[in-house]
Amino acid sequence: MTNDPRDRASDTPRDAQSGGGTRKAIYAAGGGLALIALATAAVQLDVVPRWLIGAGSSIEETAAATTPDDQFTPPARDAIPDSPFGDAVRRGEAIFTNTATNAGDHVGNGLSCSNCHLDGGRHPLSAPMWAAWVTYPKYRAKNDQINTMEDRVMGCFTYSMNAQYSPAGGPPPHGDDIYRDLESYFFWLASKAPTNVSLDGIGFGKVPKPEGGYDLARGADVFAANCAVCHGEDGQGQRDINGDYTFPPLWGPDSYNWGAGMSRIDTAAAFIKNNMPLSQPGSLTDQEAWDVAAYLDSHERPRDPRQTGTIEENRLANHDGDEILYGQVVNGVLLGQGTGPSPARAATMATPSAAEPQN
Amino acid sequence: MAHKSDPKRPAEIYEPYEEQAGVPLPVIWIAIALAFWGVLMLYDTGDSVRVSLNDRAEDSEALANVTPDEGASLFEANCATCHQPDGEGLRDAVPPLAGSEVVAAGPGIIARILLRGIDGPLTVADATYDGHMPSFASALSDAEIARLASYVTTRWANGPDGAASSADDVTDLRGEVADLGSFAGGMELARLIPSLPPQPPMPAPSAAPRDDADVLQLVFAGRDEVWSCASCHGDLGQGDETTPRLAGLPAAYITKQLHDFREGTRVNESMHLVASGLTKGEMTALGTYFATLRVPSNAGAVLSGDLARGEELALQGDWSIGVPACFTCHGASGFGVAPGFPGLAAQHAPYTAAQLANWAGGERHNDPLGLMAEISGALSTQDRRAVADYLATRPPVPAVAATMTRMETDDDQ
Repeated sequence: MTNDPRDRASDTPRDAQSGGGTRKAIYAAGGGLALIALATAAVQLDVVPRWLIGAGSSIEETAAATTPDDQFTPPARDAIPDSPFGDAVRRGEAIFTNTATNAGDHVGNGLSCSNCHLDGGRHPLSAPMWAAWVTYPKYRAKNDQINTMEDRVMGCFTYSMNAQYSPAGGPPPHGDDIYRDLESYFFWLASKAPTNVSLDGIGFGKVPKPEGGYDLARGADVFAANCAVCHGEDGQGQRDINGDYTFPPLWGPDSYNWGAGMSRIDTAAAFIKNNMPLSQPGSLTDQEAWDVAAYLDSHERPRDPRQTGTIEENRLANHDGDEILYGQVVNGVLLGQGTGPSPARAATMATPSAAEPQN
Repeated sequence: MAHKSDPKRPAEIYEPYEEQAGVPLPVIWIAIALAFWGVLMLYDTGDSVRVSLNDRAEDSEALANVTPDEGASLFEANCATCHQPDGEGLRDAVPPLAGSEVVAAGPGIIARILLRGIDGPLTVADATYDGHMPSFASALSDAEIARLASYVTTRWANGPDGAASSADDVTDLRGEVADLGSFAGGMELARLIPSLPPQPPMPAPSAAPRDDADVLQLVFAGRDEVWSCASCHGDLGQGDETTPRLAGLPAAYITKQLHDFREGTRVNESMHLVASGLTKGEMTALGTYFATLRVPSNAGAVLSGDLARGEELALQGDWSIGVPACFTCHGASGFGVAPGFPGLAAQHAPYTAAQLANWAGGERHNDPLGLMAEISGALSTQDRRAVADYLATRPPVPAVAATMTRMETDDDQ
């Protein structure tokens, strides 16, 4: 084994290395710790790319983006108490999400409250009920009086739910249990919220009107590209195999009437910009939101129940100065004439002779 | 041979070797740093693992506390999305249980309906519904159906007839109704329940493509490059594992997927090969064929997903991560809304989870507006497993020929 290289290697003088083991260990440990310190500092100072350290998952970021810390959060669904009050809250929630069944006598179209107040009235910027609750009673120019929450909800039934074509022919009368249950639900949603304040997320938000205004033809393109897949090419929504509206109709006899807030372009634009397409809020530009809002509100829908004389008289009395196409001629047709009830609603409407005024 | 005497040349016996060099100090530094970091990470994740183990233990305790055969929870989980928690149904769409003459007929009838489902017009409580109720035979056990039938009768039937139904009764019933298919609307129910009000007539059956010899040939035998559908998707289009269930999916949806496979806008090698050999007409015919199949579910929760979380995502969504409820778009109970939104009920969990992962990763991108890419991306792996498992436990889509025919006409326009 005389030729074994290891034998030769062992010939190397070792003096230079004597005592080197300990020193080397100290250098090694010291250098290692220094590296750790450097790396920690680098991470702390955020100079390391995030993918390298796998920190900050995109989910956390999304959550942070959609629910800022100062956003009011309503109580969890399963936190409704087991009590007579809790029962009223549950009934209110059932009316809110399934309005045509649980308040069906006063619903003259195919909508539910939760079609516009998303997530059962919980979602910010889709007119959440916790934010609305703490701002009433309040003065509204729409009817020039102080409105209680009951007055306000009565307005929803009259216009957004188109109560004129419902079996009862009008909204629930004052003092109806429907108001008790709905208000119980709103009050519960606003648990622990401060009162008489404008909470973050109230209403639908505001989208400034573009300088060049809006354009119906562009709106039609935006609609075809972004809305038709759910609401249908004809805007009449889509039903499941049992005939239930999975996607609500946006115009026509089963949609909101000409008195509803959503028939105003600025309101619809704000709702659309901040909520649509579902799961992609904010994906449309302000211009696109205005164009498409104007497009869908340029179609005929049930008549304004306040109209007693001509359309022009009603326009001057109730729509003057609003961002609305009511009473205007679009594509050669005067808007505001009304669609009449859908066949399904006509079948359940009280006959004119039986339609005595509600007490 | 000059080099033989070259003095610089080492001896023939010389073997090259390397001096034993010490490991450079910086390498040791890095090694020590990495070792230290590793230990730290082990300690850190050990903590997370312990926390998640505790969470899981708590979850399973919570699950165990819900008695699986409790009628109220069974109702909530299986009936409430359509009939509503208060049993009031949906106007113009789903009949109420409260005040229903059918419910008043007793638990035996309810159990039969649960086992068979209904497919046809029905008049109850002074209103007529074009009802399509799924069969729960493959989704619920005999004991669960018995418990549910008793619960529904006791809660909503007027009078003392709300007698209990036993699991044995249901076992007998199951054999009896096995080959009967769904109830043909109120007409057939009226034969069992004399007290029903007058029932609307069944519409004439539309021409079913099931008898089309060419379609059957494709489905069961295939043709050259086109393997038979049944060879992977099963004789009844029921699918398995990562091969999707086709039975009951909207016809236009199936047709579009075949088209996308051929064009390469949806990527799958086998399906690309198959779809490339099909004509447009055959794609449409196959879509129609599978859309009309009313087939029991063979799917189940096999991914150990958290079913409660899955139910939450399907029914309520999780708005804190920007995810709306699945059923908001795919229809109550996940029966689908043609043509853009396929049925999800009774789909195989591995397939659903894989598709969600594909959307999140960008491998699948043939959905409208990229809706599924964003939603899937927001879901964690656990969420995807949870929702896939939950959907797999749902009763299968009650396939309907009538709706399908209407939809097809729409498509042609």
